[in-house]
Amino acid sequence: MAQRLRANPEAPPLVQLNFAGREVTIKLVYYGPALSGKTTNLRSLHQLTSDESRGRLMTLETRDDRTLFFDMLPLVFRAEGPVQKSGERSYTPSEASGGMSVRVKVFTVPGQVLHSATRRLVLQGADGVAFIADSQLSETENNAASFLDLRSNLKEMGMSLREMPLVIQFNKRDLPNVRPDAEVEQLAKRGREPVFKASALKGEGVLESFFGLLHLTWTRLEAEHQLSRSLGLEADEFLPVAARKLGIKRDVQSLLASCLGNGLNPPPREVK
Amino acid sequence: MQDARPPMPSLDLEGARVRLEELVDRVALGELCQSFYALFGIAVRIYSSDGALLADTSSEHDVCAYVNSIAAGRAACGATVSSVKLTEPDETGMSVHPCFTGNAYRIVAIEYEGRRIGRVILGPFLPVEVQEVPSSFLDLDPSIDPERAKSLLVRVPRAKPETISRIAKHLRSALDLILFSGHKTLLTSQMHLASVRESYRELEERGKKLQEAFDKLKELDRLKSNFLATVSHELRTPLTSIIGYSEMLSEGIAGPMSAEQTEFVNTIHEKGNQLLGLIQSLLDLSKLESGTMSVRRETLRVEDVLGEVMKTLIPAARKKNVQLKLDSNGTLPEIRGDAERLRQVFTNLGDNALKFTRDGGTVTLRARATGRSGDDDEDGFALLAPARSMIEVAVMDTGIGIPVAEREKVFDAFYQVDSSSTREFGGTGLGLSIVKRLVEAHDGTIRIDDNQPRGAVFVVTLPTARE
Repeated sequence: MAQRLRANPEAPPLVQLNFAGREVTIKLVYYGPALSGKTTNLRSLHQLTSDESRGRLMTLETRDDRTLFFDMLPLVFRAEGPVQKSGERSYTPSEASGGMSVRVKVFTVPGQVLHSATRRLVLQGADGVAFIADSQLSETENNAASFLDLRSNLKEMGMSLREMPLVIQFNKRDLPNVRPDAEVEQLAKRGREPVFKASALKGEGVLESFFGLLHLTWTRLEAEHQLSRSLGLEADEFLPVAARKLGIKRDVQSLLASCLGNGLNPPPREVK
Repeated sequence: MQDARPPMPSLDLEGARVRLEELVDRVALGELCQSFYALFGIAVRIYSSDGALLADTSSEHDVCAYVNSIAAGRAACGATVSSVKLTEPDETGMSVHPCFTGNAYRIVAIEYEGRRIGRVILGPFLPVEVQEVPSSFLDLDPSIDPERAKSLLVRVPRAKPETISRIAKHLRSALDLILFSGHKTLLTSQMHLASVRESYRELEERGKKLQEAFDKLKELDRLKSNFLATVSHELRTPLTSIIGYSEMLSEGIAGPMSAEQTEFVNTIHEKGNQLLGLIQSLLDLSKLESGTMSVRRETLRVEDVLGEVMKTLIPAARKKNVQLKLDSNGTLPEIRGDAERLRQVFTNLGDNALKFTRDGGTVTLRARATGRSGDDDEDGFALLAPARSMIEVAVMDTGIGIPVAEREKVFDAFYQVDSSSTREFGGTGLGLSIVKRLVEAHDGTIRIDDNQPRGAVFVVTLPTARE
């Protein structure tokens, strides 16, 4: 049966591994203030990934287009190494084929302040968090408040921000009255977390943020559980395999290169 | 310290436990299979991942009935059906299993989010390429009539592999929609439940924290009142000696004093008394705040209280050459209250009025019965006001008056409209705050109006005794 691995017995469970079913489930959560574009990120991600690897985007309980519970996008692919140029198999698990099925489930939380309990429930067992901030200057306070909310919710669950793979996305770059690029870069340089600029509505920066988070999360899981061995991959092959399986045409290195600040260090090795 | 907080409700949002039999309604699934059967004539069976039959169109083709009427046929049919049931669809999600009769079954995996959670068995159907009854059927038993076998076999719906694939795909997508909706509904209801539980847990925790904070504040408040009472008491003891000895000195008990000495000693005596008054007020205030001051409830007449207040005030009024008037119109209804405390209220207000009224001015104590009370805005005023009868006591002076903006603040402890007035008129700033609390302890209200042409009016409204 599925088991949740944990680094220490006190800490909440992390990545879900099911060796019998030969699958790994990675849970990523998109957090952020109300109307910062978390659901829009998921919609864009849904559009940017291939039919074969993505499941239906599930939107649970919305009112006036505002998320009440969560949105969920399942991305499922088969990790099998080494990377082969031909003879790709479908992701369908089968005893005959090697490798493991990787399930990346991306969730959004409801941003509105009153849904704190729901946010905590969705955050449970997250392996990585993307914080979607609204770039508009008027939202500065809301971004900060939501981030503190994230911190306190993690704390409530016995986790600390430091332990959690985390990327920050400054969304809505296409709007006027946003924090200027130079300032975002300055902030990113000083901060600990990798920062991505995005315009989720236009699909810009969405893959960059997603792969940035997947990279951090994978690095963390690899360090703790040596997942690459279970998947039959080299550690630095995971991201390129994931990108290819998800039908991403762009090069992972170039996606990660758009990261501001030093949060992604050390960067993954280039894979030919 | 480890606090025993109830744990957060745990949820399986990752779908690790999605089971076909939990997501679909068996009856409705059966109906769906029936409608497929009605449309295509091909039997549909749906199994869960652990092999339980969830839906079945349960119909028997004539050729199957014929086979089953023969012992060897029955055995062969049973073997085929078991083998079909055990067949795992290949990586494409579909497999074909032949039947000895020439028919075939299609086994289709039901997948959800990349996991196999069950399978569909379509068939039997007759592949288009089968034209003759195969020997595997005819050789089964010598009693089999080839002509009959053929006539029955061709009644089985004939289908091309592509057609079966299309039907399978259609059934799969219908199932997928059902599974997605079912999963969504499952998650929604789980979230509803978990959110309610989590919110409740949060509220409970906050309630506990608030209660703790409240208890702590109550304790602090009690300590503060205790402290105030103790300190006031401890201050009064030496003060009594100071007042007593200065009084004895000024009376010449310890021998004659010069005029200057007498003046000094009188000042000590007077200031000692003032300090005693202040300490007494502090003590009253702390008692009122801690709720330990008892307000007795006896039936009394306000006029009697005001009469006594007049007696107390007359010497001071004479000294200041201020005219003191009592205006009580007819017989007023009785009220229930503490005569001693009410005397304190009106003496204080009278003192205050005298203090701010200059030579030649007037201070009037006026008592009236009035029906009107409360706020006009009050719900059901038209019904409640008439049922209430009140007594209004106004203490009017012709002094400097109180600006509108200051009228609420003067009731705060230690507040003075103008700090310079303390020097001119004296006083501690405690009197009015005590007055207000005493009035409120009588379920009354106090407000300040203008006096015409000048001065202030303190209006105390007290409820009359209820029958």
